[in-house]
Amino acid sequence: MSAMFKRFKREPLLPILIVLVSLCLIVFIVFPLYQIFKASFIMSDGQIGLDGYKRVLSGGGLSRSLTNSLVLAAISATLSTIIAYMFAYTFAYVNIPFKKLFNAIAILPVISPPFVIALSAMLLLGKQGIITKHLLGLDNANIYGLHGLVLVQTLSFFPIAFLTLSGLLRSISPSLEEASQNMGAGKWKTFRSVTLPLSVPGIANAFLLVFVQSLADFGNPMTIGGNYSTVAREIYLQAVGSYNMQAGAALAMLLLTITIIVYILQNFWVGKKSYVTVTGKPTGQRRMIEKGSVKNALFIACMAITVVVIAFYALVPIGSFIKLWGINNSFTLDHYKYVFNLGQKAVFDTLKLALIATPIAGLLGMIFAYLIVRTHFRGKKTLEAISMLSIAVPGTVIGIGYILSFNKAPLALTGTGIIIVAAFVVRALPVGIRSGVTALQQIDPSIEEAATNLGASRVKVFGSIVLPLIKSAFFNGLVNSFVKSMTAMSAVIFLISAKYNLITASIMAQVENGRIGVASAYCTILIIIMAIALVLLNTLVKWLSGTNRRTYYGKDS
Amino acid sequence: MKKSWIGKVAALALTATLFAGCGSNSGTPAATNNNSGAKATDKPEATEPAKKLEGKLTVYIGFQEDHAMKAIELFTKETGIQAEMIRMSAGEILAKVRAEKDNPQASVWYGGPADTFVQAVQENLLEPYVSPVSEVIDAKYKDPNGYWTGIYVGAVGIASNKDFLKKNGLEAPKSWDDLLNPKLKGEIVMASPASSGTAYTTIYSILQVFGDEENGFDYLKKLHPQIQQYTTSGSAPGRMVGLGEAGVGILFAHDIIKYQEEGYDSLVMTFPEDGTGYETGSIGIIKNSKNQELAQAFVDWALGTSAQELGKTVGSFQNVTNPNAVGPEQAVDMSQINLIEYDVADAGAQRQRIIDKWNAEVSK
Repeated sequence: MSAMFKRFKREPLLPILIVLVSLCLIVFIVFPLYQIFKASFIMSDGQIGLDGYKRVLSGGGLSRSLTNSLVLAAISATLSTIIAYMFAYTFAYVNIPFKKLFNAIAILPVISPPFVIALSAMLLLGKQGIITKHLLGLDNANIYGLHGLVLVQTLSFFPIAFLTLSGLLRSISPSLEEASQNMGAGKWKTFRSVTLPLSVPGIANAFLLVFVQSLADFGNPMTIGGNYSTVAREIYLQAVGSYNMQAGAALAMLLLTITIIVYILQNFWVGKKSYVTVTGKPTGQRRMIEKGSVKNALFIACMAITVVVIAFYALVPIGSFIKLWGINNSFTLDHYKYVFNLGQKAVFDTLKLALIATPIAGLLGMIFAYLIVRTHFRGKKTLEAISMLSIAVPGTVIGIGYILSFNKAPLALTGTGIIIVAAFVVRALPVGIRSGVTALQQIDPSIEEAATNLGASRVKVFGSIVLPLIKSAFFNGLVNSFVKSMTAMSAVIFLISAKYNLITASIMAQVENGRIGVASAYCTILIIIMAIALVLLNTLVKWLSGTNRRTYYGKDS
Repeated sequence: MKKSWIGKVAALALTATLFAGCGSNSGTPAATNNNSGAKATDKPEATEPAKKLEGKLTVYIGFQEDHAMKAIELFTKETGIQAEMIRMSAGEILAKVRAEKDNPQASVWYGGPADTFVQAVQENLLEPYVSPVSEVIDAKYKDPNGYWTGIYVGAVGIASNKDFLKKNGLEAPKSWDDLLNPKLKGEIVMASPASSGTAYTTIYSILQVFGDEENGFDYLKKLHPQIQQYTTSGSAPGRMVGLGEAGVGILFAHDIIKYQEEGYDSLVMTFPEDGTGYETGSIGIIKNSKNQELAQAFVDWALGTSAQELGKTVGSFQNVTNPNAVGPEQAVDMSQINLIEYDVADAGAQRQRIIDKWNAEVSK
């Protein structure tokens, strides 16, 4: 205790940082959520009552949507985590060709604008689908419903799990596995008793992330959910379709409760075990699996998923040049003319706001992760839990909460760019924090202690020891923030203003109007912008590290 | 090598903490730095125009994107008044207007079915304004107190896929009962009344056509097994039928025409001969908003002929409410279809009850 006190005395920056960070959370997460909590008790005539909760809990559609969402989230999260682990393991442990291609493919769904995968699923696997009807000759294929959602969500969300897992698997020290093999354990046994246990926190994190994202997913259930109603959609329908804010807010509160429970369970499960593998002691290079049935099986599996992802994405740019998909397949540039005529502002506004939000979210994420893993202060667990909440709340609810909170002085932010940037940051933060935490948990604190003992301040330790070690997590955080901001939809639909338009809102409007071509053109442009930005970001990180050593997209050293 | 790292990261970190500081303090007046751009453009509004035609009008528009943009352009061109717009669905506009009621961001709500406006009136969110231009508009298309005025009318129609009909030896449905044909089982799509104004208009119309609520709900229960899917968006059934995902869809006629014009050639449109309902797309002024005078000028303009004739050039095929305006030639001839008396106020008042009943008894 006294040691801690001394540290605090020596490092006045730390408490200031904690206060600042907490303030951010309170203003941009807790306060809006409190507004929604309040709304869940206010009836349309302004009286206070429990009508909203009664409606939700009385059975029927609303409570069914809760169970539906949980089932969907559990399946999607499990499948996503398995696929992501397989990909991540293959990259870190197996020597296969086309690694770069696979890596890019695994990231592709992350940069997917909303609706893309769902629309492609419809065109590929629907009743008139290219695969279902024209290849398989099925007459009555039905993509709408649980199975369609599982497919689409798994494809959309496994990259998030992959980003969380890949850094972790790569940083597992080969010496542990070599030790195991030297002691006579086979490859399978080593995997089971060394590699897998070491990746438990990553797996749990990945699962949790996908689980809550699936719960809060809005675009996919809207497009392809059919009659399988889910919570996020139901909240939107209550709040926007039925003008019943109270029931929507009540449902959102229940969803929030579930997420908190999942979060607590996950914490409990991973527990306080230590997973330190980066100790600062020299480690050798990992011997990659060069041949054998394992290699072939993994290669084929990765290839299969790659083909599926490519099939889903190839449709978008192709569709943007086609007059009317499936009906009039002639070539046209009209959709791009439309976008360049009317969509320019949306494209530039989105890009500008996303570029502001990206570094903020990326660095905040790492700072949070550092505070969570490396420091001790009262209320840390609460801070951590709150930081995760925003991901669990469906965007629509966050959006409405933001309008309710920031509509009057002293926080009159509606109509400004700040409110959109804040929403971007808050939505992107959890993934950044999670990958930072995962990476930090692997690093032996003694490295930092050594630096501290040599007289380095905490800031210096963070800058010269921690950040370099979690560089790949940091980069992942940046990528994720940028991409999430560019593709955010449901949260910001209420926050867009005449001054700031967003591409995703335009895409949604086009999809609603059946102009799949224009929507595809918007999506193609969005994907190109994000691809360029990713390359630039990668270069930036390379420049920062001052060397061409291991970077995210590069091969392993 | 290490050192350069530190320097760069420190620089980055510094910028970030600056940003972060701004983020967390942005409530306090001190941190208006990156807000200055927005503030500057706000000024004309803040200082309240002394003369007419000054200031910038903000409009929430419920039309499709290109129509919305062209409308604002034309308005500024014809009146000289600066205006900007945000496009959303009608339900989203209502939610936004409601959430912003203490500090309204927009002055005019332009487009969207009258029943959302009726709801807004009940919640005291609108400012009454009887435009002189509205005199020529039929009384059934406007609110007597001027809270909302109709700008267009669209009837509920039935869209069928030609190829589907041919394959199954069917004719396009011409009555509500035709939809109960066993061959259409699982082939019909309509929107869910919980999310879509289109679907609520449809269901309310059906209840009227069948005389009383009991008969109407009997019909809806029989219709339920025929439905493949209740979509979220009101116009989505048109796309699904056009693409062959479903055989028959129930949606607004102007949406069916829109899909046909977009190139969905396999769509045929019919109307139930036993009667169908319609929506009245409306305009209204948001209560306590800035620039009320400009807002009134906008309403006058929107009810006039040039605004009403704009729709047909950008793919909006509703019937216009101003009898002096020439509507789209593709639009439905309303005199040729059997329209019911559609009481907007009653439809609005019954809304939650009917949807709850529909949820409980039909869509179980």
